[in-house]
Amino acid sequence: MAMLVLAALILPRAARAHEATLGVLEFREVRPGAFIGRWTMEPSIGAARVDLRVPPHCFLRLPEMNCGDKGLVGSITITNLGADMSAVLIKIIPISGEPRSYTISTANPVVSLLGAGAPTLETWVELARTYVNYGIDHILLGIDHLLFVLGLIWIVGSGWRLVKTITAFTIGHSVSLAAAAFGLIGVAERPLNACIALSIVFVAVEIIKQQRGEAGLTARYPWAVAFSFGLVHGIGFASALAGLGLERRLLPAALLFFNVGVEIGQLCFVLLVLALFWAHRRLGAVLPRWGDALPAYAIGSVSMFWFLGRLLRVLAIP
Amino acid sequence: MKFRLASVAVAALALVASATTAQAHIIASRLGDFYTGALHPLTDLQDLILWTAIGVLAGSLGAARGRWLVPVFPLGLLTGLVLADGLGFVSTRPAIDAAMILVLGLLLVAALRIPASLLCAIAFGLAVMRGAANASDLAPEANRLLFAAGLACAGYAAITLTMAVTLAFRRADAGPSTSWRGIAIRAFGGWIAAIGLMMVGFALAS
Repeated sequence: MAMLVLAALILPRAARAHEATLGVLEFREVRPGAFIGRWTMEPSIGAARVDLRVPPHCFLRLPEMNCGDKGLVGSITITNLGADMSAVLIKIIPISGEPRSYTISTANPVVSLLGAGAPTLETWVELARTYVNYGIDHILLGIDHLLFVLGLIWIVGSGWRLVKTITAFTIGHSVSLAAAAFGLIGVAERPLNACIALSIVFVAVEIIKQQRGEAGLTARYPWAVAFSFGLVHGIGFASALAGLGLERRLLPAALLFFNVGVEIGQLCFVLLVLALFWAHRRLGAVLPRWGDALPAYAIGSVSMFWFLGRLLRVLAIP
Repeated sequence: MKFRLASVAVAALALVASATTAQAHIIASRLGDFYTGALHPLTDLQDLILWTAIGVLAGSLGAARGRWLVPVFPLGLLTGLVLADGLGFVSTRPAIDAAMILVLGLLLVAALRIPASLLCAIAFGLAVMRGAANASDLAPEANRLLFAAGLACAGYAAITLTMAVTLAFRRADAGPSTSWRGIAIRAFGGWIAAIGLMMVGFALAS
């Protein structure tokens, strides 16, 4: 029954979607109010096509931008990011003081650059809006994470066991996300992505075991498995924030809001899957006996495909 | 009775076959073409009403008949999408969509125990029609595969949930249509039919 959902998950392009395409535009202040701008990471649509608008008092002709005595304060807008790009990071490196970073996404095409008195209430609101949306986008585009959660639901079912399992996964990924974002741990992205794919293979094998009447590790200790793999997936979440270069004082809040966004997205997905399980039971629309193992094999095949693809990237094989 | 139902089916097929133009409303989701495909029907009143109406109709007929729509409806959407995008099949006029709403509403009001095969035929025809209509709104640069997957998933989820909710509301799998729950569903069908009638009038007047 969930084959249609799985069919969508199988799409090869979707596997790529989780690796957020990020453009990074850096403005380095060379004289008070005068900046040199350059793309340190070019966006997928091409730097020349980005519709960048700066505060009206600033004169922009890349690589130069002059904002005069007022300085770089006000709104920066990019309205044509398109569906394939997750975000553009604007890095401001002033002559004195800490570098600052702002994220522009399709959902939040405008950022207000902070003045000397920041952070203000407006800053917090904008930060919350930006990072909650970014968290939701990240989880909903993270087909691999969703597939892992689907596998957990498949094994655990519904009720308190599921609540505990999903909570353990949340705690796991929150801990490692925070640790990675604060620089306490660092893991290379490519091997990590391969491990994430492998974690889904593990869950698929556990589903098959359960269907054969064997009590796998996930069936016996679902919260422990969810927590452990949550740690791995959390570092994966952190890779989405890596290089954002947020001001350290704003990092905890940004992480919190990002996590809230991830949880909102995850909760929506869990509720939808549970609702569909309920609907299938109600309709008596179940797979025939010979098809019982199909979803698990589909999950396993897709994740193994991802694992091999990511392994090739680890080994730097084109 | 069977003759009438067959007539309705033939009329529905004729309406589908005589389809010509569509009203485009290209949208783009911030989450890419899969989610654009999934969310696109929600932006269209015809889709919302027709999907709900066929889901409620199937649910009101009981689990044994309704469950066939779980695969049939998304397959119909995909077929319509492929026909429109690949072979140039043109989607329907607003008047035809409105007529379909009216027909489904009347079927609900009449509480006819139509057989599963006819229900599947109606649902498939309807899905082909709406799949084609959604395809006509595809942006040129959109990824067809992701859009189709999104649309099929949305169709599957919407029809499955609507049928299950209706079934849960109806309680008895094939209970009498004169119970208050049966009457409520018939009254709902009356509203659907009234909306269809208004839309037919509006479409013909404009």
